Amino acid sequence: MTDTQTTASMRPATTQDVADILMDAASRGEPLVVRGNGTRAGLGNPVAATRVLELGGLDQIDFYDPDDLVIRAGVGATLDEVEQVLAQKGQYLPFEPPRYAGLYGTSGARSTLGGAVSTALSGPRRILTGAARDFVLGVEGVNGQGDVFKAGGRTMKNVTGYDISKLVTGANGTLAALTTVTLKVLPAPRAEVTLVLPAATLEEDVALFARMRALPLGLGGLARRVNAAGVCELLVRVEGTVPGVAGNQQVLNGMLATRGGMEVLEQEQSRALWVGVRELECLNAKPDELVWRVNLLATTMPAFVEQARSAGCINRFFVDWAGGVVFSTMRGVQPEVDTLRYRKMAEKAGARATLLRAPDAVRAQFGAFPPVSAGIAALAARTRTAFDPAGILNPGRMTVQA
Amino acid sequence: MQMPEPNQTIISQRDALAQGLRQIVGKDWVISDDAQRRPYQCDGITAYMAMPLLVVLPGSAQEVQAVLRFCNEKGVKIVPRGSGTSLSGGALPLEDGVLLVTSRLCNVLAVDEHNRVARVQPGVPNIKITEAVSHLGLCYMPDPSSQLISTIGGNVAENAGGVHCLKYGVTANHILGMQAVLMTGEMLELGGAYLGAAEGDLDLMGVLTGSEGLLAVVTEIAVRLEPIPEVARVISMSFASVEEACECVGAIIGVGVIPAGLEFMDRKVLDAVSVLIKEKFDDRTAALLLCELDGTAVEVDALVGVVSDVAREQGAIELKVSTTEEERQRIWSSRKLAFSAIGKLCPDYYCTDGTIPRNKLPEVLNKMADMSRKYGLDYANCFHAGDGNLHPIIMYDAAKPGDLEKAEAFGADVLIACVDAGGVLSGEHGIGVEKRDLMTHQFTEVDLQQQQMVKCAFDPKDLLNPGKMFPTLCRCAEFGRMHVNNGNLRFADIPRF
Repeated sequence: MTDTQTTASMRPATTQDVADILMDAASRGEPLVVRGNGTRAGLGNPVAATRVLELGGLDQIDFYDPDDLVIRAGVGATLDEVEQVLAQKGQYLPFEPPRYAGLYGTSGARSTLGGAVSTALSGPRRILTGAARDFVLGVEGVNGQGDVFKAGGRTMKNVTGYDISKLVTGANGTLAALTTVTLKVLPAPRAEVTLVLPAATLEEDVALFARMRALPLGLGGLARRVNAAGVCELLVRVEGTVPGVAGNQQVLNGMLATRGGMEVLEQEQSRALWVGVRELECLNAKPDELVWRVNLLATTMPAFVEQARSAGCINRFFVDWAGGVVFSTMRGVQPEVDTLRYRKMAEKAGARATLLRAPDAVRAQFGAFPPVSAGIAALAARTRTAFDPAGILNPGRMTVQA
Repeated sequence: MQMPEPNQTIISQRDALAQGLRQIVGKDWVISDDAQRRPYQCDGITAYMAMPLLVVLPGSAQEVQAVLRFCNEKGVKIVPRGSGTSLSGGALPLEDGVLLVTSRLCNVLAVDEHNRVARVQPGVPNIKITEAVSHLGLCYMPDPSSQLISTIGGNVAENAGGVHCLKYGVTANHILGMQAVLMTGEMLELGGAYLGAAEGDLDLMGVLTGSEGLLAVVTEIAVRLEPIPEVARVISMSFASVEEACECVGAIIGVGVIPAGLEFMDRKVLDAVSVLIKEKFDDRTAALLLCELDGTAVEVDALVGVVSDVAREQGAIELKVSTTEEERQRIWSSRKLAFSAIGKLCPDYYCTDGTIPRNKLPEVLNKMADMSRKYGLDYANCFHAGDGNLHPIIMYDAAKPGDLEKAEAFGADVLIACVDAGGVLSGEHGIGVEKRDLMTHQFTEVDLQQQQMVKCAFDPKDLLNPGKMFPTLCRCAEFGRMHVNNGNLRFADIPRF
């Protein structure tokens, strides 16, 4: 599934150790695989390197200040631990970071905070609260020359210097080996319910999503999926204070009455349901299937999905972010041919198709991430050189040589 | 405050450059005579002035592109400018540089109601976006106080905040895509019109936002639109001490409420304001908090109850809750008039922008009182308490010799105290020239070098807004060759401004 040529791994426990390792590697121009615990190593392109720099050992929580809505931790702190610490004070990571452990056959319990920042994956709540990039306040890391640097800070607002924290978020370890991250957290909503109702056509459902989102109802999830019984349904997550949720539920009841057959999932049931959505469980991806994420304008989604299904590029799919993202599986029969066709289709629709899971050879050839314009690619390459002149940090993880 | 030495050779080519630029934008849109250039000499910080070499007002993205290409070829510096409301000198002209003004790029190009996105030109004033979409029940959330005048392009350059960013986030959280032109004239389309459109390679849009015009000139912006909250109510809470008011800020957030805005005003501000609004504040009041809650009516009513309880527990001596929109506006008027009210108390004032962890508010406010005694200058406090974003208003008299310098030193001490308390130099105004020389207090040489290396990736000739943000000019050609093992001592010999 991933960087299989690697033979040795280094697991430093301090920032200084990371710096020493990178300075040494830089002096020899030795490329390294950089990762947390490697639970999402199947994301991105395979990296040609013989050694792994694993940052999972940097797992301390430096501080957590609930009144100030801020936590700083080593990149190796697990998401489970961080979320547990926050939950004790009624707070959470608003971007709802997915683990994708089921997708990659790894242990979600070992998924790290640093991995969440480096991959910038965001869950269903993104439509309401924002993405990983919106919550990273500051970072400390080591660049490709072994220099320890910090950027950003711990305050909610900060425009002091370039926003390097955003730049390294989602850089998949190609700019720096991050050592600590400082995140903004928020109070978790006191109440949540999920309304489950029968789906109609994709067009009608997207229009309904838009109508619901036009009202300020605090909807923290709008998805459309096929459930375990094979029935296509809409999921509407309502969040807020107890009276607020009850009030919003009433508004929605009126709006959705014509659909009929509504089921209401309270608190725990609702929570469990959305963990499943976050982890793409409803895709039910078979081991030999490729898994795709396509970001696009919600209004263009129905036509795109129909076209891709009839072309055989989508096997099963579900829709999240009120129609703004499609997760789908692709049969692994002729992955090279289909990958190219699906990407072309997405490009024509103005969409961005990311290959979340595929055999190494497919990702190495076509790239896990959708191609960018020549100008952006060149600027990104220059930016990488500014951090990692020798190109030793996860070289090729995000880009494919033309 | 010192700027890089102007290049006399460039200055001597002024007429030829003006002619070249007129061929691009048309003869009316290059300003070269003294009288017409004069209004552009400064931005929101009037203490710093410089006459721009030329002022250019392009009428399209293509003209911006051509202007940049032309200046890049001639080695001429560019300072981008929106409405010139920067409070950090970000749009301070250079005597050997062309001031590129975006005023003519002022159209809302497209509104997509269903996908809730608007595509706008950089010269559109912030408020105009909301005005263009409010009939659809939508708005553009970030609302810097300057929103009537300040442009969205300037907001992007400074990553502007505002009263509502505690709940809704700053500019960077509301940008989906942008068109940007590098100094070479190369045009880039970043992101798009939907969530995740910019993902898949580095978040270049993220680093462009807040880069103070040093990396590229933004020519189009796709912004996210939000539904207008159904109801907003504001609670005015008075406290007998500054400490109690500060503690109440943490207590509100600690109980799990994120207000739409949470503002602090001290007694001096209240006294100044009460003259203007003809309303008296309780004599015991030492500090006032304004807490706005928004959402659906039911949700807001519930939150008003929670916050009122917290305020009483924290010792609030008086609570006023708005029940109508008129009352809400009236309560807010005290905050909105604060700066002009202070302006009536003194010939000049200087307002800076440090940001601290919220629980350090009492500590830093106490230090400010000490500094006021040290410099013999009065001050007042009116700030975004929910974000820990301080805006101390230092009063001085520019006509008195040495007063401006004292005010600047006072401001610098406040910013240093902010950094020492775990905060940062700027929450929303930017570094510009104002806080540039303090960057070394917050960052190590290595941190700063890493940032300047990013500049080299975007603008290797250092022609875009040089002399801002960093205390040294970029030396792109030398970076990468200078690496030695001990990072801290590498650049001791770099000349500073």
